[in-house]
Amino acid sequence: MTNNSLRNAFGGVLSFFILLLIGVLAFSIRLFSVIKYESVIHEFDPYFNYRVTQFLTKKGIYEFWNWFDDRTWYPLGRVIGGTVYPGLTLTAGTIWWLLNSLNIPLSVETVCVFTAPIFSAFASWATYLLTKEVKGAGAGLTAAALLAMVPSYISRSVAGSYDNEAVAIFALIFTFYLYIKTLNTGSLFYATLNSIAYFYMVCSWGGYTFIINLIPMHVLLCIVTGRYSSRLYIAYAPLVVLGTLLAALVPVVGFNAVMTSEHFASFLVFIVIHVVAFVYYIKGILSPKMFKVAVTLVISVGLVVCCAVIAILIALVASSPTKGWSGRSLSLLDPTYASKYIPIIASVSEHQPPTWPSYFMDINVLAFLVPAGIIACFLPLSDASSFVVLYIVTSVYFSGVMVRLMLVLAPAACITSGIALSQAFDVFTRSIKYQLPGVSSTNELDAGETSSTTAEAQNDAVKTEKTEETSKDRPSRKSKKKEKVQVEKPSTKAKAEKKRLLALPLEASVISLLLLIMLGAFYVVHCVWAAAEAYSAPSIVLTSHSHDGLHVFDDFREAYGWLRHNTDVDDKVASWWDYGYQTTAMANRTVIVDNNTWNNTHIATVGTAMSSPEKAAWEIFHSLDVKYVLVVFGGLVGYPSDDINKFLWMVRIGGGVFPHIKEPDYLRDGQYRIDSQATSTMLNCLMYKLSYYRFVETDGKGFDRVRRTEIGKKYFKLTHFEEVFTTHHWMVRIYKLKPPKNRIRGKTKKSKSL
Amino acid sequence: MAISSTHLFLLSFIAFSVLSVISKAESESELVADLLALQSESKSGVIHFDDRAVSRFLTSPKTPRPYSIIIFFDATQLHDKSELHLRELRNEFGLVASSFIANNNYSNTKLFFCDIEFRESQSSFQLFGVNSLPHIRLVGPSAKSLKDESEQMDQGDFSRMAESMAEFVESRTKLTVGPIHRPPILSKKQVVFIIVVLLIWSPFMVKKIFAGETLLHDPKIWLAGAVFIYFFSVSGAMHNIIRKMPMFLVDRNDPDKMVFFYQGSGMQLGAEGFAVGFLYTIVGLLLAFVTHVLVYVKDATAKRVAMLFAIFVSFWAVKKVIFLDNWKTGYGIHGFWPSSWN
Repeated sequence: MTNNSLRNAFGGVLSFFILLLIGVLAFSIRLFSVIKYESVIHEFDPYFNYRVTQFLTKKGIYEFWNWFDDRTWYPLGRVIGGTVYPGLTLTAGTIWWLLNSLNIPLSVETVCVFTAPIFSAFASWATYLLTKEVKGAGAGLTAAALLAMVPSYISRSVAGSYDNEAVAIFALIFTFYLYIKTLNTGSLFYATLNSIAYFYMVCSWGGYTFIINLIPMHVLLCIVTGRYSSRLYIAYAPLVVLGTLLAALVPVVGFNAVMTSEHFASFLVFIVIHVVAFVYYIKGILSPKMFKVAVTLVISVGLVVCCAVIAILIALVASSPTKGWSGRSLSLLDPTYASKYIPIIASVSEHQPPTWPSYFMDINVLAFLVPAGIIACFLPLSDASSFVVLYIVTSVYFSGVMVRLMLVLAPAACITSGIALSQAFDVFTRSIKYQLPGVSSTNELDAGETSSTTAEAQNDAVKTEKTEETSKDRPSRKSKKKEKVQVEKPSTKAKAEKKRLLALPLEASVISLLLLIMLGAFYVVHCVWAAAEAYSAPSIVLTSHSHDGLHVFDDFREAYGWLRHNTDVDDKVASWWDYGYQTTAMANRTVIVDNNTWNNTHIATVGTAMSSPEKAAWEIFHSLDVKYVLVVFGGLVGYPSDDINKFLWMVRIGGGVFPHIKEPDYLRDGQYRIDSQATSTMLNCLMYKLSYYRFVETDGKGFDRVRRTEIGKKYFKLTHFEEVFTTHHWMVRIYKLKPPKNRIRGKTKKSKSL
Repeated sequence: MAISSTHLFLLSFIAFSVLSVISKAESESELVADLLALQSESKSGVIHFDDRAVSRFLTSPKTPRPYSIIIFFDATQLHDKSELHLRELRNEFGLVASSFIANNNYSNTKLFFCDIEFRESQSSFQLFGVNSLPHIRLVGPSAKSLKDESEQMDQGDFSRMAESMAEFVESRTKLTVGPIHRPPILSKKQVVFIIVVLLIWSPFMVKKIFAGETLLHDPKIWLAGAVFIYFFSVSGAMHNIIRKMPMFLVDRNDPDKMVFFYQGSGMQLGAEGFAVGFLYTIVGLLLAFVTHVLVYVKDATAKRVAMLFAIFVSFWAVKKVIFLDNWKTGYGIHGFWPSSWN
């Protein structure tokens, strides 16, 4: 007995250190971006989050909650406090505050950069806890190790990628863990924790609707397949009541928590579970004969009530134009919806349906292991494992519709693959152990067996608990468990003998084991490669390798720095919306539109200005008080995502609101071109002029390296704009609006000509 | 006699010319009336044209004609070539036509929708200079030469089916087509029928559920369903459905050869997706088979053979996927070994 407990203690300590190392792995694999580039915030949205966090740390939580931002969407402004998911900001703000009160003076930027890697470590620990609840500690450790380096998750959580998903994936997994924990224990304590974890998830990410639909689905599945228990009730009912109340506290969700269709499933199942609970209660207090009578009564009444409620719901839902669903949710239910009706959603690259190589890129060899994990979850099927199956099935379907949801699939794939791998290792190592020459004494056998039997005993305990359905006498449960272990003890020898018969051939097992290890090694190589090469570019600093070494393009920060130091604090800067967040965060100047594309008309105004001739554009910009216009131009260095390549979107969006902008005017025979064949509208629009002004002076020919052609109009002068700054590689060009001309001069000119 | 004959000739000539002038004056409204009649005869509102109708309604009347005509060029013998989507486009065209007519209260005389079949009106095809399908053309009121002055609808304009066709029509004719009325998937009667069946069936179902004896209580069904959905998703079938990808392409250089695998990661073909999805799934299934089923087999040789088979197939599948992935995406995945190892 002491031997056994020593072994358990050793296993516990070992697991602890393995988990610690997994955390270190999860953190360090995400540091490639810092090592290869520098500690800098990435891309677009993170800059907004960074700016909000700065505001929070400077002004405090109440100011943040009521923040009206007048630096964006000039002259409209934007209410920030009520329109953001505050989870990420509050988390990073709290970390910063904690560190500072411990006298660790880190800057806000550093904290923001490293928030995502820290939460990846948390996420892998949460995965361990979740998988442990489902299939034991071994599977948990494997799953955690897999999650620590799954490329799909790395792509959203490298150091510097300071976006909602960074904390949301942890919140997602942790909420699921607490749900399963409640389901396995039936404890109200965990149920309450579960609601709080759900609240954190709602604070963090719009993807919380996945949770509030998946858990009701699982509850319904359990009820339909006859697995209802009081534990299920405790796991679900508090979550709906507390969770919905808490969710409504988040300003951006508010009454949506009870009014949109995304949440209706949970309420419907809430009703169903109460009906079912009532039926079970009646069944408990009545004799079988009386029960039959009661059942017919209850079912008929219940059906009527259900029908009435469903009818009301349907009427409510049908009265709203989109049937109460947001466009994105609808395109998940009907995958062809977006491509038919909402081109703006369909056009975003992360909303595309993935092809098979995307799966190999993002979850790599896990794609091979998942089916084995699914099957393992069915043998035997428990409440917890059925949840995992439901999770993987729904998420794999959603990921098939939108490549962005691969992120939600990744944890599920890691959990199922972890289960599959650990069971395979279990079988193969066992087969080897019992057939190795020299290992035959029963004594050693017994010692080796105990660890795995205890794990199984635990599982058995959970199982029997379920079948007996006697959660009334909770205090006696512990003693029962002990009893169980004792009952099992004498039979271990017989079991070991049975196991020996269940072994696989020795040499085949060895080969399989080696192949599985090779598969794991390939996974590691792939993940490290993906983290290092594919997913760590910050896109604010660019590099390129050529034969004469490494080139660094730091033009964006150069331009924003110039704006910050050379313009007045209240000057307004116009650019296409992609650069709005960066301009406000890095240059601290007011912008007209930004990446929060809430006002289409405003964006269309900027689009129209960019696609108009100089004078008309000047008038539009002047009416918006714009002082500077910023364009991104990649023609000199071959940076493909510049404004000329985005220009057709400006025309389309502009033309959607202002019909005098017509897309065909910018196309020659349906083709978008900027060479000498381009239309005169194209060659005279503001975007063309601002991008290619003086471009011919660089090489004498005006050869555009992105479009791979010589530009159409090479020599021209600007009448209403003047160039004030162009960065080193010409990637950002800033122009100033010329002051309005003196009216008197115009008059005198006219008189002269007369 | 001679005089009378010349008289007669003159008279008849005058009569004829007068008649023709009158008919000319009348014909505009007559033609429109005829077109309306033809339109009401057809089910979708698309008038079927042949060579005679083309000359009657398009070539002979003087410009400006009081109507525009939009023509769908059809060829029945090409209907079974799925890559042309002729049949679908023809349906969509019919939808635009019927929606247009319904939205204008069946009284619009400015625009008519027609189709021409290749076999029966080849000369019209020549007249319009159409030599490839799908082809949709708008003949405006003032177009004299059918070949040069009528407007062809671009590929892009019918890519988004009826909606984009309607946009094209609206932008060129300044007429409003209005919302497209698609027929509901289920007719009202069918919906009522289904609801009644469900209502009748639901008490039985609830009873069965409580008794615990439905198919839903069989884990094997759930298992098969779960694995199938997994297979379906990782094979990228959603991509194929949304993008309407064909199962395979015919090689352009060699029509007898078929292309099953498309190089480039943004796109995939149907058969390709299913093949790789199968490879993804088979490895997991074999692993599960070995760990959960094979251990219970008593016969040692059977175990050995099955395991070797599983190992071989899995190894081959993984290798194949890695190879295909490298070939398709062109990523050079490499390890980061210490530089002294090289």
